[in-house]
Amino acid sequence: MIKYSIKRLLQSLFTLFIIVTIVFLLMRLLPEEGYFGASYDKLDEQQKEAILTSMGLRDPIHKQLGSFYKKLLEGDLGQSITFRPKVPVAEIIKDKIPYSLYFGLAAIGISLVAGVSLGIAMAMGKGKMWDKLGTGYVVFIRAVPAAVYFLFLQLYLTSVFKLPILFDIDKPISWILPTISMSLGGIASYAMWIRRYMVDELNKDYVKLARAKGLKGRKIMIKHVFRNAFVPMAQYLPATILFTIAGSIYIESLYSIPGMGGLLVEVIKRQDNTLVQALVLIYSSIGIVGLFLGDILMAIFDPRINLEKKGGAR
Amino acid sequence: MEKENIILSVKDLVIKFKLRGDILTAIREASLDLYEGESLAIVGESGSGKSVFTKSFMGLLDGNGWIDSGSIIFEGEEISKYKREEDWIKIRGKKIAMVFQDPMTSLNPLRSIGKQVQEAVELHQGLKRDEAKKKTIEILKDVGITEPERRYRQYPHEFSGGMRQRVVIAIAIACTPKVLICDEPTTALDVTIQAQILDLLKGLKEKYKLTTIYITHDLGVVANVADRIAVMYAGDIVEIGKCEEVFYNGQHPYTWALLSSLPQLGVKGEDLFTIKGTPPNLFYEIKGDAFAPRNPRALKVDFIHKPPYFDVSPTHKAKTWILDPRSPKVEPPESIKILRAQWEVVSHG
Amino acid sequence: MGKSIVNKLTDSINEDLFEFQEYDEEEAKRGGYSNYSYWYSTWKVFIQNKLAVFLLILMSLLLIFTLIQPYLPNQKSPTEIHINQETRLPLSNNPPDSEFLFGTNTIGQDLWSRIWSGSRTSLLIGLVVGAWEAVIGITIGAMWGYIPWLDRPITEIYNVINNIPKTIILVLMTYIMKPSLYTMIIAMGLTSWIDMARFVRNLTVIIRDREYNLASKCLGTPTRRIITKNLLPYLVSVIMLSIALSIPQTIGYEVFLTYIGLGLPVSIPSLGNLINEGRLLMMAPAQRYQLIFPSIIISIITISFYMMGNVFSDAADPKNHV
Repeated sequence: MIKYSIKRLLQSLFTLFIIVTIVFLLMRLLPEEGYFGASYDKLDEQQKEAILTSMGLRDPIHKQLGSFYKKLLEGDLGQSITFRPKVPVAEIIKDKIPYSLYFGLAAIGISLVAGVSLGIAMAMGKGKMWDKLGTGYVVFIRAVPAAVYFLFLQLYLTSVFKLPILFDIDKPISWILPTISMSLGGIASYAMWIRRYMVDELNKDYVKLARAKGLKGRKIMIKHVFRNAFVPMAQYLPATILFTIAGSIYIESLYSIPGMGGLLVEVIKRQDNTLVQALVLIYSSIGIVGLFLGDILMAIFDPRINLEKKGGAR
Repeated sequence: MEKENIILSVKDLVIKFKLRGDILTAIREASLDLYEGESLAIVGESGSGKSVFTKSFMGLLDGNGWIDSGSIIFEGEEISKYKREEDWIKIRGKKIAMVFQDPMTSLNPLRSIGKQVQEAVELHQGLKRDEAKKKTIEILKDVGITEPERRYRQYPHEFSGGMRQRVVIAIAIACTPKVLICDEPTTALDVTIQAQILDLLKGLKEKYKLTTIYITHDLGVVANVADRIAVMYAGDIVEIGKCEEVFYNGQHPYTWALLSSLPQLGVKGEDLFTIKGTPPNLFYEIKGDAFAPRNPRALKVDFIHKPPYFDVSPTHKAKTWILDPRSPKVEPPESIKILRAQWEVVSHG
Repeated sequence: MGKSIVNKLTDSINEDLFEFQEYDEEEAKRGGYSNYSYWYSTWKVFIQNKLAVFLLILMSLLLIFTLIQPYLPNQKSPTEIHINQETRLPLSNNPPDSEFLFGTNTIGQDLWSRIWSGSRTSLLIGLVVGAWEAVIGITIGAMWGYIPWLDRPITEIYNVINNIPKTIILVLMTYIMKPSLYTMIIAMGLTSWIDMARFVRNLTVIIRDREYNLASKCLGTPTRRIITKNLLPYLVSVIMLSIALSIPQTIGYEVFLTYIGLGLPVSIPSLGNLINEGRLLMMAPAQRYQLIFPSIIISIITISFYMMGNVFSDAADPKNHV
């Protein structure tokens, strides 16, 4: 188990390293105007050259990369160019994290509880009303672009329930709609996966044996089917994190929540390269951590994984 | 023989399945009496309905299948009309237990062996925690698992196929059933392990006074364990009798075909006997004797009327028109004649 | 030797019937199985789902309509700005009427033709990305599964790419390149093949090692025949599925990228651009139709393709054939 975790962790770190490198190199492909902000037109060639040199952008690429890694390790993500010129990126993002964290975690929590419950209800009454309603919901959420239903939810629910249209930190009531909107995708995914895995498990021989030994249907569901269906699902936990990331980009800017997602939309519009780079790296890291956690969870639940690595007795 | 106690009696059972809008008749008016303490083997090729037939005794038909007509009487109670799970719970495990074909899939991969056996112990023997665990270890020892205390905590993937089948058997035994149905218990196992498992089952039958039903297509298994044989074809039992009677004095052309295809019965130098054609498609209505189209010696009546049972002896009967006095004499194949010659010796000394 | 139970039923049977019937070996074989055809069975299962059939017809009609719409009579250009003849001002925010079926947008363009033009763009992206995904995914997947020494390196590459959120790759790529149709297609194509490749790899490994293929190899069946008979049916269904599902997916991505400001240039009508334009007006009830119409069309297209894809993949699974 420990050996597996370490191996998996090293793999994640390696991926992170590759991503940092690729992102850095790709960002170098961007036109150089991006490094000057509003002052670009006022400067002559010499001044521009001087600024670029002082930023280290005239060094050979491997040297730039080296210093980039070094700064990253110190937590230095560079300085904002156009969004809030000269302010360290880390400082800007630091203020945004709590909002994104709150909405992200709340959304994941809600999707887990609601999605798993819906999925169980669907699997147990396969082909009945809950299953049909749930399937309709899953199809809708997964097929239709999130922006479309996010917009309509904001448009109509705020007027029906007299909710504020924009986020206001002092009015908790304004937090409800963004949180729920962000959970919708996760609920659909969890419901779909749990249902699929439970139905798969229900057709397995060991469930037939459990029935044959006289176990009641509900007990089989809880003790055998749900537990076993949850294991492959554990690895999808990170997928909801990714879902939530995409959702947060929409939701935070739609409701003007001062989080990282809204920031990303803002800095893309302002062409702030260092901030875009930093946010892309942060989001990738979240994705990597999520997948890592998913695999570890899976290994904890499933006794086969670590033992198969050792080639266990057959 | 009549003195023996009938524990399970099936009459004219018809089981149907619905598959994508089409209706399939899996069991066609099959009847069977099971005597307490005996060991019965149901033989037939795959798809003949052996498993479905026995699963219906426990209410374990798949969701798209149902008992269309006929009756199943177990210990005097009509169980074929059971609809609710609560009714079946009284039968499953407690009265009838089952060992499945593939030990690799019949165990839950994510729970320890001990827990899975103990579940049955707690359910059917009314024991709790430590007592249940003690009993579980006892049963594991009973089915020939060495170091049961250590094995108790292990997971199915740490067991070999033969060992897993022992665990599956342990689960069945832990239910303390009266009837044990073994659905192809050795098919998925290595040849060397098969004999061990059969011996184990025979031993357990004696120890726990079980009535056993073996479902198999392997006549070798039958000869080893069964008192009586029921030959099943296309959802019906076409011949049933004591082991020797069916083996040496089989009457139904399908029984002949089945026996003739045993390699050890082949006449040296001749081609191995094979049954031509395929079993009938159960989606269509079958008229007459289901085996007729594949029977080179079929009578005209076989294609029109379903034969009733004709008694061969008080313990042996077969559904074939050959046994009707009006039928012309039908010569069995060479290999069957050899068997019959041996039968004269066996039955008359 | 046998003593028969003779009852009334059996008595009534005509003696003549107790004669041998001529044996027909063909008859014996016929009893069993019908002629199984993979595609026929797939089709049969598919058309059993009435909804899927309806959607298939609907989408075929819609596809044809989007293609021929510009050539129909009385259609307007999606980019032409209509002018009010009296005021000489652009005919902006003209509510739906007989002239402009879906009304006009803020600068006086015909929403009806913009929606169909946008659907054309979005379906084009979807089809290209789907086809690309299938071609690259299957090629790499098949190599991955079939050539042993490639297994390790491709697995490592897969692990890296799969670890990065797709949305982020999309954002990064479109941020670096200039916004255009090609940018969008390249950015989406960059990641889309990966799941397909893995799926095909697993399929190849399973199929390569499956007993029946080993058996046909032993019987001397040429590899080409194994591929066409055993592998191809799987792959064709995989391709169809990937194209069907890539349409809702690419539409979703396009809407997303447009929303965060990395979409197609406003001069190209696309579903993403229409939604974005509609969003800016959504708080004005009178102009809300500019959000509602594109939303309805997007929902119909995405849901239809998504459902058809799923029903088709179920139908293509031999386990669901009788």
